[in-house]
Amino acid sequence: MKTTCEAEVRILPGGAVITLSGEIDGHAADALTQGYARAVAGGDPATVVLDFAAVQYINSTGIALIVSVLARARADGRKVVASGLSDHYREIFDITRLSDFIELFPSLDGAVSRLTEATG
Amino acid sequence: MTSMASPSYHMLASFTMRSEPGNERLALAQVAEAVAGQGLSAARLERLKTAVAEAAMNAIEHGNKNQPEVPVDVEVMSSDGDIVVTITDQGGAPEEAGPGAEPDIARKLAGDQAPRGWGLFLIRHMVDAMDVTTEGTRHTVTLTMRAGAPAGQEGGRSEDHV
Repeated sequence: MKTTCEAEVRILPGGAVITLSGEIDGHAADALTQGYARAVAGGDPATVVLDFAAVQYINSTGIALIVSVLARARADGRKVVASGLSDHYREIFDITRLSDFIELFPSLDGAVSRLTEATG
Repeated sequence: MTSMASPSYHMLASFTMRSEPGNERLALAQVAEAVAGQGLSAARLERLKTAVAEAAMNAIEHGNKNQPEVPVDVEVMSSDGDIVVTITDQGGAPEEAGPGAEPDIARKLAGDQAPRGWGLFLIRHMVDAMDVTTEGTRHTVTLTMRAGAPAGQEGGRSEDHV
């Protein structure tokens, strides 16, 4: 039973947005890794936004992949923020303490506004 | 004549899966269907679904070593309003987790701990109780969502007998 995850990248002033869709499980490794690589390839974004609004499912392996992306970004000196998590996955980000290291925004607009403020 | 107040279980669903990666999603969907109408709030249903998926994934990968022909058995029951789900693999007793196995995000980010290892941690926090038993090769994880537990809050307690 194959699952899918896709990552679309958009470069904005002050940051890059990785819009994730589908399911974040073990099959999402390439999408997340390549998404991050594309997000930083065109410049040096201070902040990377992970948008989860179109994500239906995240499992423990997916959490590990998000931890890996976060570790990579921190090593590169970048901030990671997230938007669009459902109440359930917000709770999981709290329980795992991912939310101690990733600021959570209800919507992508809110996260993007923060990027604009940071560059304004 | 008095009767003992032992819980009576009502079977809601019983099924067997092949041990193929990804089949935890089938378990999640079938358990969700079985408990529909049992009074779980939407938030607690999401928590049960995550716990079932993680326990089924452990059974497939770690218990049955991804051998498709080795079955994972799932039973869904109700008892006095509690929802009880058992997930059984054929892997026998798992190796004891060593000290320091509890996932720690700060240690993971520092590279002192592997990024993985969230499965049991998530299960314990999603349900009101988790029990683990082994009889011969049959290794069973029992997940309980109690009737009347507050909706959307962290599990009241965890009975982890690993």
